[in-house]
Amino acid sequence: MTVANSQETMPAKAPLSENVTWLLSRMTALATLIVALSFASPYFFQTGNFVNILKQASFQFLMSSGLTIVVLTAGIDLSIGAVLGLAACVGASFLANGQIFYGVGSALLVGFTCGLVNGSLIAYLRIPSFIATYGMLWIAVGLSFVFMDGQVIYGFPESFRVMGSGFIGPIPTPILIAAILLIIMVITLNHTKLGRTLYAIGGNRNAARLSGMPVKFWEMMAYGISGLLAGFAGLVIIARTGAVDAGVGNDLLLPTIAAVVLGGTSLMGGRGGIVGTAIGALILAIILNGMNLLGVDTYWQIGVLGSVTVLAVLADDKISKHIDMRG
Amino acid sequence: MKYSKFIKAVAVGMALITATGSLPGAAYAEGEKVAVFLKNISNPYWRAVRIGSEKAAKEYGLDITIVAPTKPDNIEEQTRQVEDWIVKKPDAFVFVPVDYKAMEPLVHKANEAGIPVINFSNRVENVDLVSYIGSDDFTIGYEAAKYLFDEIGGAGKVVYIEGVPAAITAQRRKAGFEKALSEYENIELLTSQTGMYRRLPALQVMENLLQRYPEIDAVMAANDDMAVGVVEALKTAGRLDGVPVMGVDVIPDAAQLIKDGKMFASADYSGHDQGYLAVVAAARHLRGEEVPANISLPVVIVNQGNVDPWLLEPEQKPTPDWDAVIAAQ
Repeated sequence: MTVANSQETMPAKAPLSENVTWLLSRMTALATLIVALSFASPYFFQTGNFVNILKQASFQFLMSSGLTIVVLTAGIDLSIGAVLGLAACVGASFLANGQIFYGVGSALLVGFTCGLVNGSLIAYLRIPSFIATYGMLWIAVGLSFVFMDGQVIYGFPESFRVMGSGFIGPIPTPILIAAILLIIMVITLNHTKLGRTLYAIGGNRNAARLSGMPVKFWEMMAYGISGLLAGFAGLVIIARTGAVDAGVGNDLLLPTIAAVVLGGTSLMGGRGGIVGTAIGALILAIILNGMNLLGVDTYWQIGVLGSVTVLAVLADDKISKHIDMRG
Repeated sequence: MKYSKFIKAVAVGMALITATGSLPGAAYAEGEKVAVFLKNISNPYWRAVRIGSEKAAKEYGLDITIVAPTKPDNIEEQTRQVEDWIVKKPDAFVFVPVDYKAMEPLVHKANEAGIPVINFSNRVENVDLVSYIGSDDFTIGYEAAKYLFDEIGGAGKVVYIEGVPAAITAQRRKAGFEKALSEYENIELLTSQTGMYRRLPALQVMENLLQRYPEIDAVMAANDDMAVGVVEALKTAGRLDGVPVMGVDVIPDAAQLIKDGKMFASADYSGHDQGYLAVVAAARHLRGEEVPANISLPVVIVNQGNVDPWLLEPEQKPTPDWDAVIAAQ
């Protein structure tokens, strides 16, 4: 009930009914999907399969969580996949020599730095976020190519790989990591001044500025955090796959945006939240899992994903209009 | 001695000027300019191709430029690159199309501009080629599948993990796989799903398929990046034992898994050798030598028994002997 609670502490946010509406609509979509797939495939409603889905959703959530923050400020970060890739490549070069500390540290630093560059361009030089981050996308891709020179780095220490492919008790580590991140982000976004500021920047930038919030600084930091989390996601991904090449971030951007949008965070900013993104990541993972189980033709799978994302945006648009009219 | 160093530098400089062909008139002057078009620079397979062609350029004294799209297999980007290079008019093109159909008109343009084209890896049809070198994706899919089916005694349940659906290489490899499938009546294809040529998607798809199919006898993936992901998924699920996984390309970590007995085999059509031979063909053609119109390289199946040379870095790999390759045609 974090969303309901957050209401008292967040003056800049939308009315209670709206939060409940979008959360309910996402939950309904999720439940419908689970019921439908349970009937469609006898292999779906199985513990083993749910663990799979949770694991796959966890990776998606790690990638989409940073983007959620940026989208809340009414921005977009198109460089996520590329920055993730660059951070993973740099980190891997240390990890392959067994230097876990330097590997993890350098990956996070690369991610954070790229994010801060994005953020400075956007917050202080007023470059539109889709242009600044699109530029960063190509810079990061280019640097990854140069850095890797077409090679694959593999052979990471087992103690590092636990992060992506190990278990803590019966629970796969990535699920645990995603759960912890979710809790931290729920608290940060809903119960701290930082969270209120981020919502306010996206909701009404001028009002936020006039009320004395350090808008520019926190807008920049939103991209910094997004980059940092991309670097972190990169580490967990290579811990899972055990290898990295310059293309590791390819094709990760669209599902990352899709999970945020499916989770109901408005691309206009100020509305939505991290719980929605977790649900969005789950929906995405379930759709992919369902298509695999049902043996949906490869050519259709990509189209289905695209359609679902567009429909989610349309639905979101309709719901917000409905709310506006009741206003 | 400082002076001797200086003299050496001048001598080297002059040698370089001679080598780059700025002094005209010499018979077969070295340093012909050749543009080498590749389709991808991010993966180890194409890195090996690049290194192979650089070795040939060094050996024959060609001045080559590697031209490749920054986004792998991007048609639009390669189109621009080819157009730019037709204007620059180098002495020859060594060419791998990102898509053999889409690039056909551009090779036509190069023909019209009088630039000799040596094509390798994917054949461009209906154009004038000095030579075509290589095997093709259809054959490699076919040979790899047959080798895998024989391993499980020609009978069993098989999963195929496809590449990027839009990529011509993925379509040709799948077509080759399907031809082999049609020849083995006791092999049942459980499902064919895409892993997008990438490790993480392949791993996740395989995890899902392991839920769906309690019995899988063998898996073939359209490239090694995905095959390694499949091995990872099988290992985590405790089902790797007795399930041979076949890949294509023999990338370094797949070679390591094959060596360790965790992955069954991979198929290679020797990117390093293709890159080398294509540039040698260009040099020999430019120096007035007859070059066969078709140089085919056999698909090599790499298993635990013969994997060792593939664990070498491409820099250390021996180059093929031109005369021997030609004699084998």
